[in-house]
Amino acid sequence: MMALCCNDIVAGYEPGLPIVRGASISVRRAEIFAILGPNGAGKSTLVKAIAGLVPILSGTVMLGDEDITAVPAHRMIGRGLAFVPQTENIFANLTVADNIDLAASIMKVDKRRRLPEIDDLFPDLARQKGLVAGRLSGGQRQMLACARALVTSPRVLMLDEPSAGLSPRLVGAVFDNLRQVRATGVTIVLVEQNVKAALALADRATVLVEGKDRITGPSGDLVSDAEIAALYFGHGGAGKAA
Amino acid sequence: MLQLIADGLIVGSVISLGAIGVTMTYSILRFANFAHGELLTWGAYLTLTVLGFVVALGGAGPMQPIGPFSFGWPLLAALAAAAVMTALLALLVDWLLFERLRAHGTAIVLVIASFGAALAMRNLLQFIYGTLPDYYSREIQIAIRLVPRDVMGGMRITPDQLFVLALTAVTVVLLHLFLTYTTLGKAMRATAHNPALARLTGIDVRAVIRAAWVIGAVLAAIAGVFSGLTVQIRPGLGFDLLLPLFAAAILGGIGSVYGAVAGGLIVGLAESLSVPLFGAEYRAATAFLVLIAILLVRPTGLFGERN
Ligand SMILES: Nc1ncnc2c1ncn2[C@@H]1O[C@H](COP(=O)(O)OP(=O)(O)OP(=O)(O)O)[C@@H](O)[C@H]1O
Ligand SMILES: [Mg+2]
Repeated sequence: MMALCCNDIVAGYEPGLPIVRGASISVRRAEIFAILGPNGAGKSTLVKAIAGLVPILSGTVMLGDEDITAVPAHRMIGRGLAFVPQTENIFANLTVADNIDLAASIMKVDKRRRLPEIDDLFPDLARQKGLVAGRLSGGQRQMLACARALVTSPRVLMLDEPSAGLSPRLVGAVFDNLRQVRATGVTIVLVEQNVKAALALADRATVLVEGKDRITGPSGDLVSDAEIAALYFGHGGAGKAA
Repeated sequence: MLQLIADGLIVGSVISLGAIGVTMTYSILRFANFAHGELLTWGAYLTLTVLGFVVALGGAGPMQPIGPFSFGWPLLAALAAAAVMTALLALLVDWLLFERLRAHGTAIVLVIASFGAALAMRNLLQFIYGTLPDYYSREIQIAIRLVPRDVMGGMRITPDQLFVLALTAVTVVLLHLFLTYTTLGKAMRATAHNPALARLTGIDVRAVIRAAWVIGAVLAAIAGVFSGLTVQIRPGLGFDLLLPLFAAAILGGIGSVYGAVAGGLIVGLAESLSVPLFGAEYRAATAFLVLIAILLVRPTGLFGERN
């Protein structure tokens, strides 16, 4: 069974103006799956729709064998789906500890067991629990955003461009964290602009173009795929592909 | 001088409690609720009504004062009941009006709707209670001299005024503890900062909105009763305080609870200290001069987030 399965999703911010126009993705258990595509393709809209933040006009989203198409956003973590948005993904006005604790308290997580695991995963954060999160550096913010999402032990973790705005060294650190997270059995779906790094990290990937999944396959195949090359390097997209 | 400061702090307490509600609805619902003043008025009048029942049921004639205060336990019981009723009123108005507009309307639609709600609430109140002023108690209060007359003009304060100051302080401390240490309090701060992320964190934003209305309305009822206790109960009680409430909330940095408290005290002090300078008619204008002066120096208000 697939960990996450979207069938023919149509989604958008306003009725009659779909941004995602019939996208389908199937993500296997404990794999890292990348969603690639040019600017404005609807990648963010797709993951937001899956997370319940953007209305789904048609199609279905299955999490394991549960239909979560109509589940409101605040119930998603209870179902086992966590999402880290691209920007503003931490509560800058709360402490690091409160950022992590809040979801745990709401979901009645056994904190005595789970918080040490999170501390092990993000030792950098463990040392700064009392700090107001707004004072963290860019890389630490991204880690806090992941920690906040992971504390409820989701089955599937979705991230929107976790490498955006980070130096190559920090991107490496964040991606290493994601590998560790996957090693604990969590399925990871990430949207990435950074095609090379994403394909190096992911097991499989899909390329979304104009709201539809154009090509899907193992990362190794996509690296050498001519169509990807055309999409990213051919039509003046070289700058964004980095 | 000292006397003016004491008077200013008492008015400031009422403004602070009201401004907390304004700033809270603003930070969570993202609109300036001009009907908030009416919650103060309704709180004051509902307390008066419940007080009538409590005293009648007690059958002991007029309310027996506690110690030096002008009021007795019946008033406190009535305030507690009226605070609950005011909270229900706020939830009702939200359900009837704001919730429907939130789904589609922009902030300005909500603001204008809140003007309408204010008018409706005030007219309904006048229809029920009439327009004459009223009092919780006819007891005459003897002011206590705290500072002799030869020290900076001296200071006299009534026991009721001391009670208002003390209970305001207690309320603000309790609210601080609630927002800092409870899950609901943290969820409210999280929602104020970023509603979408709050939902992703498992927070039911509708529950947070209800909590904001309840807290705002309870504090409004307390402020309304304090105003009724230290001045008088009038249908215009809340409306007349509306501009000071907003001045206080903006001065403190809209969205900041502590800013609202600080802003309320500053506005109260500014109004009171301006009386000997410009006369009582211009006290409201002084609050705005202070507001403008502070915003020129700190455009986000005293405790406002910069970004
Ligand atoms: N909140 C919104 N309201 C209305 N339209 C939006 C909103 N957010 C995005 N859009 C529109 O949806 C389209 C797709 O945007 P989306 O953010 O999903 O693309 P993306 O693939 O994530 O692009 P990027 O690589 O730039 O992040 C764009 O045309 C954008 O203008
Ligand atoms: Mg995007």
